Amino acid sequence: MPQGLDNLKHVVVLMMENRSFDHMLGGLKRTNPKINGLNGDESNPDTAGNIVKVQPTASYQGQLSHDPDHHFPGTDLQIFGGAPFDPGRVANMQGFIKSYATQNSNVNASHAIMNYFAPEKLPILTTLATEYAVFNGWFSSIPGPTVCNRAFAHYGTSFGNVDMNLFYVTDADRDKIPTIYERMKAGGHGAKLYYYDQPSSTMEIVNLLKDQSFFGTLADFIADCNSGKLPEYSFVEPNYSDHPGPGGGQLLATDQHPDHHVLAGDNFIADVYNAIRGNSDLWKSTALLVVYDEHGGLYDHVVPPSCTPDGYKAAPAATGVPGLEFKFDRLGIRVPAILISPYIARGTVIPGTEDPDSQRIFEHASIPATVTKQFLPGNNQGTAREKQAETFLDLLGDEMRGDDDCVFFQ
Amino acid sequence: MAQQFAFTVKRSKFDARAAYNHDRPISGLIRTQLLHLHTAEQHLKPEKRTNININNLLTEKQASEYIQKVTALLHEHGKAAKRKSAGKKTKAAKKAAKRSSKKTSKSKPVAKRRK
Repeated sequence: MPQGLDNLKHVVVLMMENRSFDHMLGGLKRTNPKINGLNGDESNPDTAGNIVKVQPTASYQGQLSHDPDHHFPGTDLQIFGGAPFDPGRVANMQGFIKSYATQNSNVNASHAIMNYFAPEKLPILTTLATEYAVFNGWFSSIPGPTVCNRAFAHYGTSFGNVDMNLFYVTDADRDKIPTIYERMKAGGHGAKLYYYDQPSSTMEIVNLLKDQSFFGTLADFIADCNSGKLPEYSFVEPNYSDHPGPGGGQLLATDQHPDHHVLAGDNFIADVYNAIRGNSDLWKSTALLVVYDEHGGLYDHVVPPSCTPDGYKAAPAATGVPGLEFKFDRLGIRVPAILISPYIARGTVIPGTEDPDSQRIFEHASIPATVTKQFLPGNNQGTAREKQAETFLDLLGDEMRGDDDCVFFQ
Repeated sequence: MAQQFAFTVKRSKFDARAAYNHDRPISGLIRTQLLHLHTAEQHLKPEKRTNININNLLTEKQASEYIQKVTALLHEHGKAAKRKSAGKKTKAAKKAAKRSSKKTSKSKPVAKRRK
């Protein structure tokens, strides 16, 4: 077993909101051609028939004041360019502007969906991506919105849902497929969801109702990192809203959900990273995954691949696409994902669909699959989808990078 | 803390005050969170509920105030349930201890007889 895996005691996942791979990291291809980002000539047609190329002109706030559509029908339009459902239709990633145009009366404003960040505009995220391991092929689990995608990170399935419904409170299946937190607890391990604070709370409401002992705040996370009391598995949620802080301060949303300020989220990623990096014992025994829940309606050029179905089906009435019964056999749009540990070599790029011979395809079911494999070997409670999902801890190698070789954010 | 690290990168500075807007209309995501917490709230006793109509919550500040209240209530509910179950366990343990001490006191003469 590689030394990095041998020393591993903690897995931490930070899940951000609603940004695609190309939008956040696509500009890195310029400095490292192995990163499957943008050449600059990728394009989409607008509703007036003009061809609009990607531009490094994404702004931190104000450009996406209409939250881009990322529900199932909108995402279907983005992937298939607006072709009506037909079993033989081909995905072409040509419907992003058309989709955003449905929310904008101004054609020019709909072009903003093609914008991406120049790497220097996101110093934290792009530094982590180039200093550690970036996944070329990490996809959201469903071509749809937040709740069903986050469910894959907690349960390894969305129980047949492709929308934002609170589906699993009363679902009999829910108890058959416990969350990764419940599995960890039953196996005698620690697991915790750290939300930012109570006014932001969590998106994992079912467990908040069922077992509050799984929850802590960001302040608890920092304290647990400092005191070395972090559980084996932690899931960190950002601040989902601008709201007053204790003592009359102002707390900015850090989730990067449009139209929250993107730099507030970039700095939040630094806070989470630094909390681990600042404790040398914790640093050498922890793997941190920074990942986004879904693409948020923003352009990405990579066609989502097929995947192992999890046994559920969503009827056309649920998908909102006439004639399309979704069998959970295709992934959603690609999102940024970075794995961080001192046992990962600088500049690691994990190949995706651009390299069919050595591609490794990840999705959010990879999270419970990895945690189960590491801490609960032999546990068989996941869905077929989770059991087939790629796990990522084999990326930790034998050599630990020196303290002077691993970044700290100021 | 930063001084002890040789390799550092600076965060970007920005005007946080200009970026902050708690009167921003809530997104579909926060609307969903409100609905989910409202559903969770219905699992509490009627007298413990906030009785807030979430349809009247339009801004991030209004939403965050409701979210805080219900999150706190759910934690309280969890603590109370834990206390109740711990209390039940203690009661059950006391009963069991009583039963076993009765058995012991009843069995003492038998034991004596055996002796």
